[in-house]
Amino acid sequence: MTAPALRVEGVSVGFGGVRVLEGVDLDVKPGEIRGLIGPNGAGKTTLLNVICGIHRPDAGRVLLDGVPITGKKPSSIAQLGLGRTFQTSQLFRGMTVLENLMAGLYRRTTTNVLAAGLNLRSHREEEERTEEAARKALEFVGMAQFADRPGTALSFGQQRVVEIARTLISEPRVVLLDEPAVGLSLNRLAEFDALLRRIRDEKGVALILIEHVIRLVMDVCDRVTVLSSGRRIAEGVPDEVRNDRQVIEAYLGKELRARHS
Amino acid sequence: MALFGRRNVLLVLLAVALVLPAVANSYQLYIGNLVLIYTLLAIGMNLLLGFAGQLAFANAAMFGIGAYGTGLLQVHFGLPFAIAFPAGALIAAAVGLAISFPALRLSGLYLALSTLAFAQFTQWIFLHWEGVTFGAGGFKTPQISFDPLPVSKPVGLYYLSLLVAVALYIFARNLVASRVGRAFVAVRDGEVAAQSLGVDLLRTKALAFGISGFYAGVAGGLYSQALNYVSPEGYDLFQIVLHKAMIVVGGMGSVAGSLLGAGIIIIVLELLRAVKGAQEIVFGGILLVFVLFLRGGLISVIQRYVKGWDEPLHAAPPRRDEPPPLAVPATPVAERAAP
Ligand SMILES: Nc1ncnc2c1ncn2[C@@H]1O[C@H](COP(=O)(O)OP(=O)(O)OP(=O)(O)O)[C@@H](O)[C@H]1O
Ligand SMILES: [Mg+2]
Repeated sequence: MTAPALRVEGVSVGFGGVRVLEGVDLDVKPGEIRGLIGPNGAGKTTLLNVICGIHRPDAGRVLLDGVPITGKKPSSIAQLGLGRTFQTSQLFRGMTVLENLMAGLYRRTTTNVLAAGLNLRSHREEEERTEEAARKALEFVGMAQFADRPGTALSFGQQRVVEIARTLISEPRVVLLDEPAVGLSLNRLAEFDALLRRIRDEKGVALILIEHVIRLVMDVCDRVTVLSSGRRIAEGVPDEVRNDRQVIEAYLGKELRARHS
Repeated sequence: MALFGRRNVLLVLLAVALVLPAVANSYQLYIGNLVLIYTLLAIGMNLLLGFAGQLAFANAAMFGIGAYGTGLLQVHFGLPFAIAFPAGALIAAAVGLAISFPALRLSGLYLALSTLAFAQFTQWIFLHWEGVTFGAGGFKTPQISFDPLPVSKPVGLYYLSLLVAVALYIFARNLVASRVGRAFVAVRDGEVAAQSLGVDLLRTKALAFGISGFYAGVAGGLYSQALNYVSPEGYDLFQIVLHKAMIVVGGMGSVAGSLLGAGIIIIVLELLRAVKGAQEIVFGGILLVFVLFLRGGLISVIQRYVKGWDEPLHAAPPRRDEPPPLAVPATPVAERAAP
């Protein structure tokens, strides 16, 4: 049994008396793709926000590679190797796609104000390495031809893919993806599926994937966790989860009913 | 590089600036000096507001602290200008850093208001700490000379301003094209996303404040000597309006735009000096036009129509008032749920 890359222990969160998460546990192994599904408002995004330090839990704690990170600033947690993308596009609109990627290497670069302002050789060399890595990362996700476009010129789906590349470029241990497939057309979805597999196989990063596109989740995830009303109601390999009575009732069934009505 | 590209244009401007003392009368030289000084102020303001996105009003105070610091170190301690000038600028930068820590826990309007209060507070100190600052009447700065260089004081001072402005212009250009500049823009465009990449908000904003304060402080030191006189009203809130106007006209988030804005605003104000009341009207009109119709400033027009003006981190003019794109409603795609 390998030590978990990410461990969530008994996390509870309430907003003004309303319980949003209730004693949630989660263990994610290094290199694992973990699906996180559940109805709207189940608390999925809130859980990611607790993990990355935006929300402080009322109870419980989070460990990254065995190190407790609860209570640390989001930037410090990112520095420790936790990356994430957001439910809405968060590309920096004043930057080109390439510059966005370069910004992704912030935590792996060291140039300070003076070295940068005086354009010292150390700065120029680091900048060259940064740009090279950024171009490579764009190639990895198949976006190289958009390098010099403003991020806002891309389609919504493409922006999400660039964001993933921006997160992966600093080689984090764990990456949290909040509905990355929103806005992807059907044929882009297959490409995205392949991209996730390549990320798992080539980057060795643990992924938590929140997604409402159930086929994508069932296809690429090693295990799936189901949240409903802030509680974990099921967890297992995709097939187990798909056939779980509770899950069908709380989430999957509703979608089928919605389809037939 | 295109003929009318940024580098060529800047080199021509530099050449003009270098020969200006040979062809200009003393008034024109003074205006040239003012343009250089306000270029520094505009760059400082642009780094803070245009790049790092911090709406703050403390720069008039840093400008004043630089001027008072430089002047008073000479008057009270007999320090030579060569020491008092950098010391004054460093004091301004230090104050900028110091006030940034409490101020930056606030954001938006509260940041603006608290820094406004700070600017008023410095005004009050300049006015009422008479034993040190000489109160409302201000004080004359000591005469400096550029011996053994064979130049008169105004010419020497002009070249000093030029040297400093060119150096700090290049410094700013390099800075914004680095990881530090990217961190500034990241904080401006999305604090949460910036943090998720490891950018520490407080540190990055404080850095922007400190650097911005340094630019304003340097400008203050030069300004004190250009006027030969330091008094509180030179550093009041109108200065803030002026600095803001410069970057709005020139272009937010552009170092070249800062230069452009400073040059245009100073020259327009001088041309209108003769006509009573015209300054305010034209000034207000210009601002209105730019805020309403030309959000990216003049530089955005140049960047669009003239080759060779693209700058890093200026892919899209910041439009902070625009809501983020709506998330597509997160309803599952039903047919995919089927086993
Ligand atoms: N900052 C907040 N303050 C108050 N309530 C909040 C806050 N954030 C989330 N909530 C509430 O917590 C609940 C869980 O929200 P969350 O965004 O985590 O759901 P989700 O599972 O990500 O849903 P979706 O699939 O719609 O994205 C919702 O009822 C939401 O209204
Ligand atoms: Mg959500």
